[in-house]
Amino acid sequence: MLRIRCPYCEEARSEEEFAYAGEAHIRRPEDPEALSDREWGEYLHFRTNARGPHREMWVHAAGCRRYFNVLRDTVSYEILDVYPIGKAPSDDSTGNGA
Amino acid sequence: MGTPRRLPSGGRIDRDRPIAFSFNRREMRGFSGDTLASALLAHGVATVARSFKYGRPRGIVGHGVEEPNAIVDLGVGAAMTPNVRATEIELFAGLEARTSRAPWQGAVGPLARYLPAGFYYKMFLHARGFRTWERFLRATAGLGGVPEGPDPDTYDHLNHHCDVLVVGAGPAGLAAALEACRAGARVVLADEQAEFGGSLLAETGPVDGEHASSWVARTVAELESHPDAVLLARSTVSGLYDHNFVTVVERRPDAAGAPDVAGAPDVAGARERLHRVRAGQVVLATGAIERPLVFANNDLPGVMLASSVFTYLHRYAVVPGERMVLCTTNDSAYRTAIDWVGAGREVAAIVDARPEPSGAAMQAATRAGIEVIHGHAVIEARGRKRVREAVVAPLHGEDDRLTGPPRRIGCDLIACSGGWTPTLHLAAQTGVKPRWSDEAIAFLPVPAGDAVTWAGSAGGARSLPACLQTGAAAGAMAASRTGHGEGRVSAEPPETDEPPETPSRALFLVPHQRPPSRAPKQFVDLQLDVTAADIELAAREGYESVEHVKRYTALGFGTEQGKLGNVNGVAILARALGQDIAATGTTMFRPSYTPVTFGAVAGRDVGGFFDPERRTPMHGWHEEQGAEWEDVGRWKRPRYYPKAGEGMQDAVNRECLAARDGVAILDASTLGKIDIQGADAHVFLDRIYTTGFRRLGVGRCRYGLMLHEDGTIFDDGVTARIAGHRYLMHTTTGNAEAVFDWLELWRQTEWPDLDVYCTSVTDHWATAALVGPKSREVLGRVCDDIDLSRDAFRFMDVREGHVAGVPARVFRISFSGELSFEVNVPAHRGREVWDALIEAGAEFDITPYGTEAMHVLRAEKGFIIVGQDTDGSMTPADMGMDWAVRRNKPFGFLGERSLSLPDHLREDRLQFVGLASGDAVLPEGAPLVEVPDGAPPIPNQGFVSSAYHSARLSRPIALGLVRGGRTRLGEILHCALADGRNLPVTIVDPVFYDPDGKAQDV
Amino acid sequence: MSDRPGVVLRREPARGCLNLRGNPRDAGFRNAVAAVTGVELPVESCTWGPAGDAAVYWLGPDEWLLVLPAGREADVERRLREALAGSFSVVDTSGTHCFLNLSGPARGYVLQKSSPYDFHPRNFPAGRCVQTVFAKASALVAANPDGSFDLVVRRSYADYVRDWIADAEEEYGFARG
Ligand SMILES: [Zn+2]
Repeated sequence: MLRIRCPYCEEARSEEEFAYAGEAHIRRPEDPEALSDREWGEYLHFRTNARGPHREMWVHAAGCRRYFNVLRDTVSYEILDVYPIGKAPSDDSTGNGA
Repeated sequence: MGTPRRLPSGGRIDRDRPIAFSFNRREMRGFSGDTLASALLAHGVATVARSFKYGRPRGIVGHGVEEPNAIVDLGVGAAMTPNVRATEIELFAGLEARTSRAPWQGAVGPLARYLPAGFYYKMFLHARGFRTWERFLRATAGLGGVPEGPDPDTYDHLNHHCDVLVVGAGPAGLAAALEACRAGARVVLADEQAEFGGSLLAETGPVDGEHASSWVARTVAELESHPDAVLLARSTVSGLYDHNFVTVVERRPDAAGAPDVAGAPDVAGARERLHRVRAGQVVLATGAIERPLVFANNDLPGVMLASSVFTYLHRYAVVPGERMVLCTTNDSAYRTAIDWVGAGREVAAIVDARPEPSGAAMQAATRAGIEVIHGHAVIEARGRKRVREAVVAPLHGEDDRLTGPPRRIGCDLIACSGGWTPTLHLAAQTGVKPRWSDEAIAFLPVPAGDAVTWAGSAGGARSLPACLQTGAAAGAMAASRTGHGEGRVSAEPPETDEPPETPSRALFLVPHQRPPSRAPKQFVDLQLDVTAADIELAAREGYESVEHVKRYTALGFGTEQGKLGNVNGVAILARALGQDIAATGTTMFRPSYTPVTFGAVAGRDVGGFFDPERRTPMHGWHEEQGAEWEDVGRWKRPRYYPKAGEGMQDAVNRECLAARDGVAILDASTLGKIDIQGADAHVFLDRIYTTGFRRLGVGRCRYGLMLHEDGTIFDDGVTARIAGHRYLMHTTTGNAEAVFDWLELWRQTEWPDLDVYCTSVTDHWATAALVGPKSREVLGRVCDDIDLSRDAFRFMDVREGHVAGVPARVFRISFSGELSFEVNVPAHRGREVWDALIEAGAEFDITPYGTEAMHVLRAEKGFIIVGQDTDGSMTPADMGMDWAVRRNKPFGFLGERSLSLPDHLREDRLQFVGLASGDAVLPEGAPLVEVPDGAPPIPNQGFVSSAYHSARLSRPIALGLVRGGRTRLGEILHCALADGRNLPVTIVDPVFYDPDGKAQDV
Repeated sequence: MSDRPGVVLRREPARGCLNLRGNPRDAGFRNAVAAVTGVELPVESCTWGPAGDAAVYWLGPDEWLLVLPAGREADVERRLREALAGSFSVVDTSGTHCFLNLSGPARGYVLQKSSPYDFHPRNFPAGRCVQTVFAKASALVAANPDGSFDLVVRRSYADYVRDWIADAEEEYGFARG
């Protein structure tokens, strides 16, 4: 059971209040029609699936309902960083840095 | 029955409070303060159970959580709890307990030699007819009985947040909790026993100059004086999860302080509470469990842990025998023998495996007149139903082999100690495997981050002063890590008079004259009857991983979870593999530490609380009308309203015809509703929906499909433009929350630059759908500020006004194909408006209808229900809904790109069609095939998604998905029924009724 | 069990509610809201404040719940729309919310058994409010100066939440206020 600090509510809350929302920093292509089927398929289906630090989105579903980014170690489950949507990752040491 | 083994004085029992109880239907007596186990031992009960596999007699071995044999079903009838350790059951008046039995117990005894380790794997690896065998095996599996009915007791959950959680209230845990409290931290202290104190409750020496029990009492009193300390006795910490989330199962006492366990008299509140603790720091002061020695027939009743004998003697004033042989590898067990003599009993000998024991313990034993046989070990116990003699033989000083002939010593109790095993289950649950220490002769915990620490014998401390000191230090440190105090202890650790220890000998399997495969059974895991020979066999057969050996032999698989047998098993395996213990390693420990009742897991989330019921504002009215219900998501929706004597089909037919011919009313409050406003609201909707929203006029509605990015249909519904920059979106009932999250996902993460806000108003509005040719007249009776005429209030218009005097929004939209007005009013006024509509409709025989009729009406029109006629793989084209897709919008829409993927353009995709089926209503979900009776595999052509009897058409109708279906109209397929019949089915257009839409255009 | 109920649950009458969205760093937005409603928007997360017969709760970084005496919501909504400019949203949610008040000496246990949030007075003093999980529903919980708690729950879940709290009777004693 994780404890996640919501950057908007500004306190650590229990995992029950949150929902996982997939890998972070996957931009929707500006012009999907310009992409090949393969490129579009990669946007749709391919994810980093990192072992170790992983940038992912969570939503504070039962709280303020805001989405935000979490840097979480998928082995230890330690949460290394929490930052708002739109903010660039603080470093790109992970498999899915921006 | 008398209690021959109870001492006339001493112990922490209350002799003024005798307690009558029954065990295996025999009436017995004990005292308040007894456990079931201590009371049984006081009666001289030797055999409490038969072993799981071999049916051998078994007695009480331990005094706490480690007990493998004395497992009972507690209580009777529905309140019975199976598989409880007798060592942990506080005695109470009227207690009824029975030995938990395996169904085939004893039957296997004579066959046992044919059931080696891995029997099942070998037997069934290539066996035919496993299904037949399985039935027999299932019937014989498991241990303990099943309660006769639903549990009459309640269980509850309680959440806690603390700075420091201390697990275990022995000397280390008490010292840790005390320091953390003094530093100002919020502390939770949990201990599985009824009283705090752990080993101190049987301690005889002084602590801090006073009797150990008064030091405990003083410490507990100070802890109780801290308002932010939560003290949980009878509370087992069962799991340590990520981020220091900890589950604690508390068995609750009743108001009188008597234990509230299964079968006990009535108590207020929950029988057990599952505490869900979120702790900043966890201090594991879980203690250590004495390790038994593995020798031949070591399972005979009368073979016990030395520390357990000590505990029964001092805490319960019970002597579980008369003449003891103590078999040890270390100093700690000596005091059991010395105090045994002090209790007026006889010690035949202390058999010490060490070649030349010396030191304070040895000298004290000699002073007490006890013979110490050094360099020897008990290699075998003898007796029929309990120990009658110990076979003792000399042991080589370093190798584990015998150096001389055995001799026999008469005794009825063999107390043994192979050293101590720190209780690391919780520490290991963090995922970090303990490391072997040759010096400690034990696995010791390994740090995993700095949020979990340990203290006392759990961390390898071997003396009381060390436990007190490491406990205090750990408590102060944990508090400081949560911002309380400087991490220094507040006082010197209390003084004790315990002498220093001399080194122990590492001994696990005691050698016998014969090898394990030929010797009498040498048990490693008493609960599941795993022997040293079984482990050696597994090694011989090529198993090298301790995890594999565990699974092959079932070592540690019982409820006991390796508390006694794990280290011995690992050591025997290491030796068989010719490697050291460190390289062999230990098995992984996972939650739960001890079995947790289903009741504790469920808490109050049972019965009506299992899943919340969402109710509309008109719920009471539906109830009054005797509606039958359908669960839609969490909502309760009326399915149909049967009149006297009506079956479901009769009622649904009547409701459908009322909607088509007169007027009917549906509670549509459950539809998801989302207010969307902002200067860019139309841009946002344009991107979310397949349909275009830029040109939608104020007061107009539009139907839209919502797609996932992969092009599949996610939701559908009507969205209305309420004002210039304001829209109201309708979603399906079941998808309301998912759609809201979807909108927020895109709004917040991809398009934060759009000026748009979404607010859920599902609960704000009560919605009544007035349906049928008479609906305009009915509404007109209660609404005078909206022009309801055909041209002023067109199909797909929305208007604001008052209905029955309540501010209302009325939509002229239709899910039935009839003239229809959906009246929305604030939910707290929903019931009064509903009542007014019913009253206004009385002269038209207004008919309430439910979800079943709603489904029939929409199916007659060929309208889809997302999630019923779609399954997450259908595109708009598949559903024949390209008319709802607007291409070439400025931004496009979510999922648009996927619509041109080659797979979505295949002509043999499943396509939405109608199905005509003679006079039988098809089963929904039934597969469709071309040839009814060809040789398998028969290619699947699709399936039935919706099927009903249509009252209007007087015949069944069905909708379904068929490969390339839209080009196959008129073709006949076959629908395979579960009873083996095949019905011919004709592919038809999905619109069965009023294809031109005349009915709603009036 | 003592005669005094451990938990007292009072159902409050319906109120007028407006969900308000906008940028708290925009002084024009804050001032316009204050001018219309007489209420200062709390900008600190998870706080609420009373203002005469109204109250306002922080729901998110750009979202508030404005609670008014019943019947005033339509007028206030209209005046807010007139006064506000730029990016904002006002939605009448009066039908959405049911208001409950939880008091009695065991009130804290009811919150503890129902929610994973830390309602200890050190963490949740008067003036704090939190949206969180409540049993299998969700709730906005606010700490009052008198030590009681206000619970704001969605209407469709109100019966479930009331039944859930009443179920604490066996444990703590219960009364409807
Ligand atoms: Zn939040």
